[in-house]
Amino acid sequence: MIESLAIIAFAALIHASFQLSVSMLTLLSGHAIGSKTAHTKLLRLTNAFALGVAIMTMLLLSFFALLVQYAFQAPVPVIAWVASCGLLLGLGLAVWIFYYRNEAGTSLWIPRNLARYLSDRTKATKQSGEAFSLGMTSVIAELIFIFTPLAISALVLVELDTDAQLLGILIYVVISLSPLVLVNGLIGSGHKLSHIQKWRETNKRFLQFSAGAGLLILGFYLYIDKVVAVTVTTYGAF
Amino acid sequence: MAGKAIDIIKREGKRPSEQFQRDKLHASIRAACLSVRSPEGVAESTATQVCDAVIIWLDTKPEVTSADVRRKATESLESFHPEAAYLYKHHRFVI
Repeated sequence: MIESLAIIAFAALIHASFQLSVSMLTLLSGHAIGSKTAHTKLLRLTNAFALGVAIMTMLLLSFFALLVQYAFQAPVPVIAWVASCGLLLGLGLAVWIFYYRNEAGTSLWIPRNLARYLSDRTKATKQSGEAFSLGMTSVIAELIFIFTPLAISALVLVELDTDAQLLGILIYVVISLSPLVLVNGLIGSGHKLSHIQKWRETNKRFLQFSAGAGLLILGFYLYIDKVVAVTVTTYGAF
Repeated sequence: MAGKAIDIIKREGKRPSEQFQRDKLHASIRAACLSVRSPEGVAESTATQVCDAVIIWLDTKPEVTSADVRRKATESLESFHPEAAYLYKHHRFVI
């Protein structure tokens, strides 16, 4: 069980290194502070945004786990692990190549029209309810990258007993949310947005490298643990 | 200093041109200063100084692009408030 929870925690850490939600939170708080929004309202907005991200992450992970359970039952077949490892390796390379644009700032891979729309929506957000749904949207908008960590966690989750499944979901949500909680805490405690954004820009290549490397490492590990080891145990080495 | 009527070409002509509006530039510079938690008085005076500098620069030009105005405003803001200038310059490149 510890090994399974460790895999879920590592997948969540990879999820945490994707930056769309953090970017949107930075923009949201920047505009709220710039328009002299009261500090309590600013916190309500950023907390609602983070809550939206947490709820949507939890819903997606639970939904994926349900789909996997209906499709395979435990134990998960080797072919599903092979496909997932392929996705992890492919996505790892894609993150290294595409995740950040080659321009100043922290521009992400997303199409410019969508980025402009998200940016405009974020700037126009004044109510906690809007911030909550914006948080949910930010998770959906990055689904192409977070799909694989979520799917891997779902595959691992269905092999656990019910209590451990709940713990696994909790671990995933808490770890994947940690950068958002950190940025939210920094904003709430009065740190300057320019410092946060400069740190993000300075370290964006490191974050990109570690997300891609994390995906590759997880892919290799799962291939050895869930495919090679199982095949060798079942059919013998030669 | 209201400035003469100058056409601003927006997004390389993809959106209709509009006349330069000092209030609009003032509000965006002020918001950038407030975003880095500058006091309101500092934000106001910085925005006024930047707008004055941009209007002097615009004086000899019949039309400019919105990107030119932003670049000039950033240059001017950098000398008054580098942190606000950083956010003003990069706010389109956050997502």
